[in-house]
Amino acid sequence: MKFWLFMVSLSIIALIFITPMVWMLITSFKLEGRTITFPIQWIPRPFSLQSYRNLFERAPIIIRWLFNSLVTSSLTTLLVIVIDAPAAYALSRLRFAGRNFLFIFTLAGLMVPFQVIVIPLYLMINKLGLVNTYMGLILPRLAIPLGVFILRQFFMGIPVELEEAAILDGCSRFRVFYNIILPLSGPALSAVAIFTFIGTWNDFLWPLIIASREKMFTLSVGLASLQGTYQVKYAMLMAASVIASTPILIAFIIFQKRIIQGVTMTGLKE
Amino acid sequence: MNIKTTVKYRRSRLNEAISGYLFYLPFGVVYLAFLVYPIFRGLLLSFYKWNVLETPIFIGWGNYRVMASDSTFWLSLKNTLYFTGVSTPLLIVIGLAMAVALNVKFRGQQFFRALFFSTYVLSISVVATIWLWLYQPQFGLINYYLTRIFHIAPPSWLADTHLAMNSIIIVTIWWTAGFNIVLFLAGLQEIPQSLYEAARIDGAGGWQSFWYITLPSLRYTILLVVVLQVIASFQIFGQVYIMTQGGPYGRTRVLVQYIYENAFNYFKMGYAAAMAFVLFLIMAFFSSLQFRLFAPTKLGKKGK
Repeated sequence: MKFWLFMVSLSIIALIFITPMVWMLITSFKLEGRTITFPIQWIPRPFSLQSYRNLFERAPIIIRWLFNSLVTSSLTTLLVIVIDAPAAYALSRLRFAGRNFLFIFTLAGLMVPFQVIVIPLYLMINKLGLVNTYMGLILPRLAIPLGVFILRQFFMGIPVELEEAAILDGCSRFRVFYNIILPLSGPALSAVAIFTFIGTWNDFLWPLIIASREKMFTLSVGLASLQGTYQVKYAMLMAASVIASTPILIAFIIFQKRIIQGVTMTGLKE
Repeated sequence: MNIKTTVKYRRSRLNEAISGYLFYLPFGVVYLAFLVYPIFRGLLLSFYKWNVLETPIFIGWGNYRVMASDSTFWLSLKNTLYFTGVSTPLLIVIGLAMAVALNVKFRGQQFFRALFFSTYVLSISVVATIWLWLYQPQFGLINYYLTRIFHIAPPSWLADTHLAMNSIIIVTIWWTAGFNIVLFLAGLQEIPQSLYEAARIDGAGGWQSFWYITLPSLRYTILLVVVLQVIASFQIFGQVYIMTQGGPYGRTRVLVQYIYENAFNYFKMGYAAAMAFVLFLIMAFFSSLQFRLFAPTKLGKKGK
């Protein structure tokens, strides 16, 4: 009985929650100019693939944008995990002088809005000759300390006894990190991977600044460039966002499996 | 302790210190080069007057003095504080509640998780556009059904001075709840099932389990979510800029928007940098408060 109530409430909330996105999908199948009607049309009449067809005509460059986004998002995500996890481990478990300061120092990087650093950053990337390159897109995003902070908090939640047992057995710090901490951190690592991937995928300001050649646009910049300058083409915008959102949704579903896998702390009776 | 064990002790402490620095190094290098250095360059500008075309002029505390009597600055700060103060508790509670609900094992769990997270994958222009339409007073979806079912006058969601900021808060909650849900879910996964079983055997009910097992175990995660949430809320910009441009009458203009306007519309780079620095200090202050609240020992290093 209680379970049934739970499912119904959850479904109602889910329905309300999903309505705006359903609307986005429906609008993408409407004719441009007929997107706002009175009374409201829940089923597009006429049902039109016009927006998708328009986008398909530009397919070659759009595929290139998709590719750029995929490359930068994937590489960034991978590199972020590789450099953030050890740093997080150092800040959560290893004891060394200046650790507290280093943590505050790392956290502070989250507190400055991007608008403040965008110009100095561009000047620097320009001087390094990395404008219009993948590295130019990726490097600044690697410096964001979000992953370090998230992983640090999760590492602190892992019982110290597990590591201490391994160290007593003679494991080096690196092996403790690699063989014990990492396997237990599946959900946290997946979370960081998802956020980094999505953040990079949807990033607009930096790719806009760093890429002057159409070939180097990412999907978010490219799709924005397709918009008319004087009026918002609603159907096209919705169709474009359906196209842009689908890959990440798929990526989430893949990463999401890791979040389901619970951590079974066998071998340690609390 | 004789001299041999002292040396061994010192050497292992040294090893740990070296490991510490080595583990941090790869990230540290990138961080220093591509974030810290630009931040310094950017914030140093706060002591100058620079309109991009001419060379910067040093003016010391000039920008800060102007800021103190700038009414737009104070209004923007107030709006930002309101936004943060209202949206943060809501996002924490909703995020946690949804995560607990989505942690229950049932068929379709994966589907529901994907559903509640799906809004987070949308880009900001899409979110703003969808909700601009939803909030439209005459033709928008919300007022369409609101007037038909409840027969009230259609509220002006984005143009009414009392409603505007709250409308933005609703959009933000809808958009970003998924982020908190994912983090809380990951935190819930870390809690051993055995704890709940033992509690059940001892006769504890659902609420007691939550209060005495779930919440304490989520200590580090809650701190994480709260800190991130506050930092992110203080930096809100996109939704407001696209949906209301700070209106009506500057009632939704947030601090980052004012910084942006000063930098890229008025070309007052130094002034913008000074405000960014003040914003940074405010965030630092609230973050340290949170660490003290949720993890009273040294920077939350409980147990180590």
